[in-house]
Amino acid sequence: MNNFLVIFLSLILSLALTIITFALGEFSPDWLYLTVIYWILAVPNSIGLITAWFIGLLTDVTFGSILGSNALTFVIISFIIIKTYKFIRYLTVYQQSLIIFILLFIKQTILMWIDGAVGIEIPSFSTYYWSVLTSAIAWPLVFFTLRYVRRKYNVA
Amino acid sequence: METVFKKSFKVFYTFIALVILSILTITADYKYNQLDNLRSLINDTVIFPIDYLSTMPKKIFEISIQDTEVISELENKVIILEKENLKLKVQLQEYQAIKDENLRLRKISEESSKISNRQTLAKVINNNAHPSKKIISIDKGKKDGIFIGQNVLGLKGLVGQIIESSYLSSKVLLISDLNSNIPAQVTRTGEKIIVKGRDENDKLDVLFAQISMDIKVGDIVSTSGMADRFKANIPIGQISFIDNNKERKFATVHVVPHENIGSSSELILIWDYKPKEPNE
Repeated sequence: MNNFLVIFLSLILSLALTIITFALGEFSPDWLYLTVIYWILAVPNSIGLITAWFIGLLTDVTFGSILGSNALTFVIISFIIIKTYKFIRYLTVYQQSLIIFILLFIKQTILMWIDGAVGIEIPSFSTYYWSVLTSAIAWPLVFFTLRYVRRKYNVA
Repeated sequence: METVFKKSFKVFYTFIALVILSILTITADYKYNQLDNLRSLINDTVIFPIDYLSTMPKKIFEISIQDTEVISELENKVIILEKENLKLKVQLQEYQAIKDENLRLRKISEESSKISNRQTLAKVINNNAHPSKKIISIDKGKKDGIFIGQNVLGLKGLVGQIIESSYLSSKVLLISDLNSNIPAQVTRTGEKIIVKGRDENDKLDVLFAQISMDIKVGDIVSTSGMADRFKANIPIGQISFIDNNKERKFATVHVVPHENIGSSSELILIWDYKPKEPNE
């Protein structure tokens, strides 16, 4: 119960953070992705693929993107992390940032493909890829904050 | 060992199933527009409360700043507003005269000269949505009778149109969005053009402006009412730049919108014009 509550609250907070940092435009980090990646890395059974899919759907509604596009990328990223968490967990935080950069780069590329396939005009590549860099930079912040929370409330 | 394999396969099958489900939702959403109800349901139950709560600190901050405004400043404001009111009243009289004259001379049909009687003021909840889209959300939804395609105005001119409405809130596509095309006309000559957003808040593009077209910097552009998307004669902006390169087929023309698009905190919704449903 404790686990569920802590993870649930952290997801709500990261959603609020996403909405607040809309003001930063294309530079706003993907807080929801970072939070989900952290919980899967730290507690592999906490967030399953189906939960990740629903979080993705939520992200789609928040962003106003096509329903299902972020859900798809959420499932793909969660699947990769679930399969490789044993490896990623033992890297340093900054090496993890690099992994996150690569993962989110792939995610943004998929999102761009979907937008292109549907016929939405794409403004410029920078609008898609700035958030990848800022997310990678924001990862240590998310990591240390959530690790503190996890140890304090004993989520396992 | 076998159980580990089974578990691993289970995750894999869930993954494949969810990927297929995502592709199905994407297709259903963009090709058949079938998921609007789901979208508005999620919007009302989850996003709207969080959205509202997360903008709360900003609102409290703004209110506390307003409270500290000194009374003398407020008095000054009253004086300025009274002056402006007087000026506007005089202008209104002139406008009334011009309107009567216009009616008499040109006998324009009822529809295009009618001023919107019913208006609703909406507050902007969030000024920014997806970075690649110019969408803002407002605090009026289906409960106020908002419909898709409703024209959204600022104090000085057109701002956008409603593209999505849920029970409590709705989303406005701004005219500066890349995917926004507005049938418009140059008010001086009546020539028809299309105004297209270019992802910048202070500049719009004009499509299909012939090189030979009679157009000048400073001309006012307003909606033409063609294609039944926007009400006719809503001002959009002023032409700021023309490049009549003879080698190209169409001139490059830029329009500066009257309204500060994307940064206004209150918007006006008009009711007397309902766009026709697209025939599919």
